[in-house]
Amino acid sequence: MNFDIDDEQRNFAQHARKFFSEHAGTAAARALLDEPGEPSPGRELLTELGFSSLTIPEEAGGVGSELLNMALVAEQAGRQLAGPSLATAARVAVLLEGRNDLLEDVATGRIAVAVVDGSPEASAPSMDVTSASHFLALDGDDLILGPGTVSVGEPIDATRGVGTVGMHLAETARVGSAAQWEKAKLVACTILAAEGLGAAERVVELAIEHAKSRETFGRPIGSYQSVKHRIVDDWVAINQLRSLVWWAAWAADHDPGKFPIAASAAKAYCAATFETACETLVHVLGGIGFTWEHDAHLYWRRAKVDRLLLGDETEHLTLVARRSLSNVA
Amino acid sequence: MDFEDTPEQERFRTEVRTFLAEHETELDHGDGAYLEEPGIDRINSLRKTQAVLFDAGLIGLTWPREYGGGDGTNAQQAVVNEELHRARVAGPVGHVGLGMCGPTILAHGSEDQKQRYIRRLLRADDIWCQLFSEPGSGSDLAALRTKAVREGDRWRIQGQKVWTTLAQHSRYGILLARTNPEARKHRGLTMFVIDMAAPGVTVRPLRQMNGHESFNEIFLDDVMIDDAERLGDIDDGWRVALTTLMNERMAVGGGGGEIGIRSDALIAHAAVRLPQLPAERRPLAYEALGRVLVESLAARYTGYRLQTGIEKGASPGPEASAGKLTAVRVAHATADLGLRLLGEDAVFSRSRDGDWRWATSQASVPGIAIAGGTDEVLRNVLGERVLGLPPDKPRSQEPATAKTNDR
Ligand SMILES: Cc1cc2nc3c(=O)[nH]c(=O)nc-3n(C[C@H](O)[C@H](O)[C@H](O)COP(=O)(O)OP(=O)(O)OC[C@H]3O[C@@H](n4cnc5c(N)ncnc54)[C@H](O)[C@@H]3O)c2cc1C
Repeated sequence: MNFDIDDEQRNFAQHARKFFSEHAGTAAARALLDEPGEPSPGRELLTELGFSSLTIPEEAGGVGSELLNMALVAEQAGRQLAGPSLATAARVAVLLEGRNDLLEDVATGRIAVAVVDGSPEASAPSMDVTSASHFLALDGDDLILGPGTVSVGEPIDATRGVGTVGMHLAETARVGSAAQWEKAKLVACTILAAEGLGAAERVVELAIEHAKSRETFGRPIGSYQSVKHRIVDDWVAINQLRSLVWWAAWAADHDPGKFPIAASAAKAYCAATFETACETLVHVLGGIGFTWEHDAHLYWRRAKVDRLLLGDETEHLTLVARRSLSNVA
Repeated sequence: MDFEDTPEQERFRTEVRTFLAEHETELDHGDGAYLEEPGIDRINSLRKTQAVLFDAGLIGLTWPREYGGGDGTNAQQAVVNEELHRARVAGPVGHVGLGMCGPTILAHGSEDQKQRYIRRLLRADDIWCQLFSEPGSGSDLAALRTKAVREGDRWRIQGQKVWTTLAQHSRYGILLARTNPEARKHRGLTMFVIDMAAPGVTVRPLRQMNGHESFNEIFLDDVMIDDAERLGDIDDGWRVALTTLMNERMAVGGGGGEIGIRSDALIAHAAVRLPQLPAERRPLAYEALGRVLVESLAARYTGYRLQTGIEKGASPGPEASAGKLTAVRVAHATADLGLRLLGEDAVFSRSRDGDWRWATSQASVPGIAIAGGTDEVLRNVLGERVLGLPPDKPRSQEPATAKTNDR
């Protein structure tokens, strides 16, 4: 057993970290709340650098990399509240497996694809649809691809590009795709959890920094156990979340039997961990934490929305339970 | 990254698995570490289990061969642990010796001590205990007051210890005592090996909230210990104790091991009980089960990451404390859900069809949250040593005796 990433992966993550800190960030996320638009770094740059086509096979114009590497990039993207989500990119790559013609269109940026949940004619709120030209949906048992009309609501987190879609003139991209649809969703859950991991880690760092420097009653607030222990619990949870995310991302390519449980575990655990870390941060900051100015609410917004995308905690906890029980039977 | 066995590990795993199956009747079994049916005292059969495992080379695998160990790797030890788990073999009765006393002797003992003690400790020929806590010092361990006064090449011990697990079955213990009452409290301590059969040692078992008598109070009246039984330098006992405490936190949950009822036992239990619940209760029960299993997976895989680090040569640092914290939480949630799945019978210590595991675990977990560093103490360690958050307030450095004499 060797449960760690290697030096090459560490370097790769470092490279991604630099890219996202230069091309995305909280300022961009805040601006989007006032002025709707495409999140940073945006589809074009992500395509150009190959980040969004990491898991598309080489023969279809992608990088042909494993999901774990995508997760490492996603972690860095999450840290900077980047968008569109790499979860969408990873999901598309799985859905279009075998359709190299279409994957090539995606990898080269000829079409900008989002995946919509629910009915194709009137979808459920789905992520990254505001920046998409084409949509993938499950129609009965078949996968369809086509353009659509997007309606947006008032976003809590503007970086997620959430909206509902009415598809029209769609073509069938794949017949009999229900199983692949499930897998694609779990792959997306894994990457969304990786983005949550990166964001949550940034959040706990901000809480630690503040707790060390802010003084009340003549001592740093981090010396009060009610503050310290809350931060420690968040840190412990984030460290555990990393284990689940890496394991799920690895299992996607190497242990298909365990992958569904691992992916749902990562998604469910991320929902609670990221949200709690954000709530701690806002609270530990005191009044500053409640301002529009401070970055805390931008992460908090992400957490409040991400926990519900691609299935909420209840859905994924239930899946873990049911799958574990069916392994016994 | 990979979770597979190397061909060599796979061979080894098969060997271990075959051995455990062939010797099933000589081994004790159970559903979790530190989990005993109320009123059962099976120390002797558990000692035999440990001896059988030791003789097969499955205990002390990573310990030095010259003292009875196997000179093996942590990876091999992990394979053995998984197979013991899989075969439901009861945890080793000498867990205090294996987890805490033994590593302390290996790190700080003399050659002679290692030769005399380690092999018998591994085989459970001798059970060991850890005499640290006192009525006045648990979390604040360095405030302890049991005295050791030098007389020629011997030490005279006077004092009292408490909560000493396994003491009534122990042949030896490691004892932390104050040798310099004038020094600052962490500086005046020394560690010894104590012969529990020596004159002046009185052991009184204490009944715990779970009904068991695992821990004891101990009176030490003019007990004489040879200077040769000292571990480490005079007045350097705090450093020695830190070795013990670090190993304790690794042993109790740090490596991702489970400390209550195992999650596979919970799953098997739920597979039977959950479908019997009224339909409207089932959705919540599924969610609750998922929550426990996810917590347990998170702890387990984090343990694997820690193990990988250790295999690559990192020494377990204060972050191992996180493993104990989370293992306690998983144990608590597992016991609670398991019990509630018994339905109406959850009000009894034993269900009408005889299942005592969940109620016993429910009554045992509170002790694990206290032993080996309470949840709060571990959070302080993590916050201050790992995250760099400031301490509560400047801690008292006064000699422990001076402080208490003031009152
Ligand atoms: C089942 C069991 C087995 C044990 N086995 C052994 C053994 O074999 N050998 C041995 O030496 N000891 C053993 N112990 C003792 C154990 O190490 C102590 O009980 C433990 O360290 C707590 O000390 P205490 O009981 O004095 O409680 P205290 O230290 O008085 O703590 C009481 C409460 O105050 C809290 N508290 C204390 N200090 C702080 C702080 N700085 N910040 C926040 N909260 C704080 C604690 O978290 C706890 O909730 C065992 C205990 C149990 C329950």
